[in-house]
Amino acid sequence: MDVFVMGLAVHPPASRIADKRLEEMVFDTARAALDDAGVHRSQIDHVTIAGCDELDGRSISSMLLAAPSGALLKDEVKCTDSGLTAFCLGAMKVESEVLDLGLVVSWSKPSTAPVEDVMRMRCEPFFTRPIGINMSIADGLFAQGLAEAYGIDETDATQAVIEACGRAVRNPRGMGRAAPPASQIAASPYLAAPLRKGHQAPITDGAVAMVLASAKWLSANPNARPLARVAGIGWRNEEFDLGRDRLTALAGFRAAIEDAVEMAGLESAGDLDLLELDCQTGWHAAAYEAALGHDVPLLTPSGGAFAQNPYFCMGLINAAEAVLQVSDRAGPLQIAGASLAGAHGSHGFAQQAHVAAIFERV
Amino acid sequence: MAKHQVAVIGTGQTKFKTHFPDKNYVELTQDAAKLAMDDAGVTPDDIDAIVFSMAPTQFMGVNDCDRWATSHVWGTGKPFMRVHTGGATGGSAFQAGYFHVASGVYRTVLVVGADRVAETPDAQHVLNLIWDRFYEHDFALNTVTMTALAAQRYMHRYGTTEEQFARVVVRSRGNAMGNPYAHLKGKITVDDVMNSPRVSYPYKRFDICPRSSGAAAVVLSNLAVAEEKCTRPAFVNGVSSITHSVFMGDRMGLWSETDFEDHDGFYLAARDCYRQAGITDPVKQIQVAELYDPFSTFQFPQMESLGFCGRGEGASKSDEGAWNLDGEIAVCPSGGTLCTNPIGVTGLVRAIDAANQVMGKSGDIQVKGVKNAVATAIGGSTQFFTCSILGDEPVAGRNA
Repeated sequence: MDVFVMGLAVHPPASRIADKRLEEMVFDTARAALDDAGVHRSQIDHVTIAGCDELDGRSISSMLLAAPSGALLKDEVKCTDSGLTAFCLGAMKVESEVLDLGLVVSWSKPSTAPVEDVMRMRCEPFFTRPIGINMSIADGLFAQGLAEAYGIDETDATQAVIEACGRAVRNPRGMGRAAPPASQIAASPYLAAPLRKGHQAPITDGAVAMVLASAKWLSANPNARPLARVAGIGWRNEEFDLGRDRLTALAGFRAAIEDAVEMAGLESAGDLDLLELDCQTGWHAAAYEAALGHDVPLLTPSGGAFAQNPYFCMGLINAAEAVLQVSDRAGPLQIAGASLAGAHGSHGFAQQAHVAAIFERV
Repeated sequence: MAKHQVAVIGTGQTKFKTHFPDKNYVELTQDAAKLAMDDAGVTPDDIDAIVFSMAPTQFMGVNDCDRWATSHVWGTGKPFMRVHTGGATGGSAFQAGYFHVASGVYRTVLVVGADRVAETPDAQHVLNLIWDRFYEHDFALNTVTMTALAAQRYMHRYGTTEEQFARVVVRSRGNAMGNPYAHLKGKITVDDVMNSPRVSYPYKRFDICPRSSGAAAVVLSNLAVAEEKCTRPAFVNGVSSITHSVFMGDRMGLWSETDFEDHDGFYLAARDCYRQAGITDPVKQIQVAELYDPFSTFQFPQMESLGFCGRGEGASKSDEGAWNLDGEIAVCPSGGTLCTNPIGVTGLVRAIDAANQVMGKSGDIQVKGVKNAVATAIGGSTQFFTCSILGDEPVAGRNA
């Protein structure tokens, strides 16, 4: 794609950001991304935002949050799937050559929302809602399926958590939590067997923004320096019903990554220097690695969701980490010479949908 | 100018009514998807990606109901995303689908959605929840009272009367009689409107849209697919949207650059859209306007901001018959949003009705000689504005 990342910002995470309203978080993040890109709000011509009304607690949350996102009197649209899905839409808007310079902004402040109640209301009213399925139970079913399909057990999931936390603690944009001992994870309560509380990445508050530009805008602004080129994007949905195949095939995960890889002109995900995965539990981390097969790049050097986990925009956080890698700005996590970095996000019950983006050094 | 020309090659909509006791939400979405694909002569395998159109899910009671609908619209395994800009959602979804194709990332895209606004016993209570919890909920603000305030300001500024708004209702209900999908329709008089129960000054019941349920879908494609599948596509020659502040108080008075009762966002959106489509004189070049007009007061400021007449001239134009089916420009030949408002897809229905006029398949409401049609949508606190231009010829110089 002829789409370039000009700047980005990641809001410092916290379990609960109590000293700012959500619109202040969003404004600070969007403003920081514009500053990072060295552009003024008056220069952008569009904003693509991603937010979840139900987690934000307003029926049309973009009414309040569009302006803090930079969208006052701009072309703007809200995507309700995930931050990384909005990124894909924003990239297509720039690639269309109708629009040239835009922001992608996403946020999540689940500390103020009853997350499991929101997830339970995602169930349709006839079958799944009466039996009380929520996010943890859906993830538990997912873990059961993975255990059967890939031979992953609790020890593997626990080890994946410890390894992810070991990387996450070095991430200056993360929470800085140390890895818990295996015994602590193993002793944590079951949420939905075989998923234990200790297997989950703790949810945090956070926000993230990126500035995207077209090749035409870059030509007209020769002093501007892009951080990365968007080489490929892909996103796929799986079916809603939590059947055995749906839970074990990881078809959407594979297809989204394959789409992005193909658009980037690569042979496989193994051509990437690194891939930041959205792993909400240790089970996911182990399963995704197994699903990638032998052709696995370095996975999730940032620690991913175990570094910070603003649930709705975790995929876009991963994209920010990938851009930082190919622009030599990842700090203590920097992979020397990283030139191709991938990012993955997922959303929906038991990861119904997957999104991927690939960034190339410029 | 977009990298790739985009065209509408198929449309589909269900009938709209208050309740569908015999179908659930996802079955409605499936009906519309099949109608649009059949109309386009494509099968689910031909669809590369799907955009889902759905506004607040509180009306129908399932969070992120698009995920439930995935398989029903043949979206399993496909790229699929939902957009939501309140009442403007359908317009935004149409434009999101446009960018899928205009970017060259996909060739053929299905835009589909449904709403069941009457599933909730009080939609206006849900619409009170769009406002700020601390400062605005207790003012009884909802979309009726919010727009009534704007209408009062418009009347004060331009001297418009309730009877002039009532004539819009009479025209719309009459137009809707030729639309088999419309929710409200019929021959009514200005007195009928004026004598309907008062709701919020200047609104009476007949000044306000119904709570509609139903579904709509459209198939968009690039030029190569359009040439293969469709003898008379509607080309999407311009798209634009403008977002304004949620705060109405910031959009009026001495220090404001614009005024909220004028539907000010359309002034900017329309000009960008016209620039893309090569429209320099909208009165002469556009034959049909399918407007987002859930209230009788919406047509005048919207037509003014779209450049069809000067500020404050809308009511007199309407009275003169300039916006009748045989007037200068046919305004809402479908009956518009005043007669049918399934919020999550209303903007999409506007685009469909505009496309059908360009494609010459509007049946009893077909306007003669349509070369260009404009479709609009509005959402939030009358703050999200989308504008799309459909034409019978592609804009010259674009790629396939």
